[in-house]
Amino acid sequence: MVRLDGVTKRFGASLALQGVNLQLETGKCLGLVGPNGAGKTTLLKILSTLTAPSNGTVTIAGYDASRAAERIRPLLGVLSHRTFLYGHLTAFENLHFYGRMLGVVHLAERIRAVLETVGLEAVTRQLVRTYSRGMQQRLAIARAILHHPRLLLLDEPYNALDQQAAARLQELLRQLCTEGRTVIISTHDLARGFELCDEIAIQRRGKIVHHVSTSQDTLHSFSQLYSHHVG
Amino acid sequence: MSANSAFVRQASAILAKDLKTEWRAREVFTSMFVFTVLVVVVFQFTIGSNPALIREVAAGVLWVALLFATVIGLQRAVQMEGEEDCLQGVLLAVQDRSALFLAKALANMIYLVVVSGCILPLFALWFRVDLTASLPALGVILGLGIVGLSVLGTLFSLIVLNIRMREVMLPLLFLPVSVPLLIAAVYATDDLIDGRTLAGVRDYLILMGVFDVVFLVLALLIFDYVVEE
Repeated sequence: MVRLDGVTKRFGASLALQGVNLQLETGKCLGLVGPNGAGKTTLLKILSTLTAPSNGTVTIAGYDASRAAERIRPLLGVLSHRTFLYGHLTAFENLHFYGRMLGVVHLAERIRAVLETVGLEAVTRQLVRTYSRGMQQRLAIARAILHHPRLLLLDEPYNALDQQAAARLQELLRQLCTEGRTVIISTHDLARGFELCDEIAIQRRGKIVHHVSTSQDTLHSFSQLYSHHVG
Repeated sequence: MSANSAFVRQASAILAKDLKTEWRAREVFTSMFVFTVLVVVVFQFTIGSNPALIREVAAGVLWVALLFATVIGLQRAVQMEGEEDCLQGVLLAVQDRSALFLAKALANMIYLVVVSGCILPLFALWFRVDLTASLPALGVILGLGIVGLSVLGTLFSLIVLNIRMREVMLPLLFLPVSVPLLIAAVYATDDLIDGRTLAGVRDYLILMGVFDVVFLVLALLIFDYVVEE
C-alpha cells in the first residue's frame, strides 16, 4: 500500500528527512514514534502529498505520488496538528462541505454515523468555534474518516483528547484496521501506539532508526529500546 | 462521475462554504465596506469644496477605494482560510485545483460587487456625480474591473498564504501588477461621468478585458504550483 524509497526532505539548510525507506502492506497499522523534531510530521505531510520530497520516491496504492497525486488524495484520510475545520460552520456543515468535496454518497446518513462514532451527535448544529479543543479534535477525526479512506494518516491523534475520548479513538482505529484499512499514526504515546499497531518505527533526526513488528516484541523491551535511541 | 461534474460540484461547494462563512462572520464584507467609505470620506474632506476638482478626481477616488478594499478583503479572507490550515484540507479534497481558484475568485467578485453596490450611492452623493444615466455602462466597467481585481487578488493572496509578513507582501505584489487595469478603469469611468457612451471608452474596455483574460489564463496555468508547499 505504501512504499518510500530513499525519501529526503530539505528545508533550506536543514534536513528534515534523510533517506527514509519504508514499506507497509494493505490493512496494516504502523506507529511512528520519536521525539519532537524527528521528522514524523514531515513524513506524514509527504505521504499526504501536501509536500513533495526533495529526493526519493513515494508510492501509494501503486501510484507515484510525484506524478499521480490527484489519484492518491481521494484515498487518504488525514488528521493533522490543525483540524482543517471552519469555526463559523457547524459540525454538520463542516462535514457536509468535505463530504460534497469528496463525493460521499448518502452524505447526511454518513455524517450522522461518523458524528455518532466520535460522540458528537448531540452537538452537530453548534458552531465549531464554540467547541472545546478536544471536541474539535474528535470532529477532525470524523472528517478524516468521512469518505472511507483506504489510507489513514494520523498525526498525534490523541492530542487534546480526554481519557474517555482517547479510548474511544483507540477502539475506532482498531476497528478500522480490522476492516482492512491501512493506518499510519504518529504518536508520543508508546503504550497506545504499541497496543494498536502491527508495526512500530522509531524515528530520530529524520531517519527510521528501528522498525519492528509489535507481535515480535514487548512494550517493555520496546520502551527500553526507545530510551536507548532517543535518550 | 465525469471530471466536469466533479469540478462543478467541488467549485460550488467551496463557493457555498465561503459565502456561508462570510454571511455568519461578516468579516470580509464589513472590513471592505468600512474601508471604502473611509477612503471616500477622507478624500472628500481633503479635496475641499471646489466642484471642478471634486469632479476631476471622482473616478480615481472610486477605483482607489475599491482597489484597497480588495486588498483588505483578501487579507481577511486568506486569514480565515489559514486558520486551522483549512486550505490544506481543501487541497486534499479537491481533484482539480482550478476549481478552488475559480470558487475563491468568484467569492471575491461577489464581495466586491456588494461593496460597489453599497458605495456607489454614497459616492454619487458625496462627489455630486449624477450616475443615473451612465449606470448600465458604469456596471460594465465595474464588472470588468472587479473580475480583474478578483482574479489577480485571489492568485496573489494564495501565493503569500504561507509567507511571513503576508500582510505586507500581498499589496507589494498585487498593487503594481494591477496598475494597467486601474488606469483603464479610472479613465473609462471618468469619460463616462463626462457623458461619453460605452462606445467612446471602447479602447479602455478592450484593455480591461485583455487584462482579465490574460491573468485568468495565467492563474489557471500556474495555480497548481502556487499552492504547492
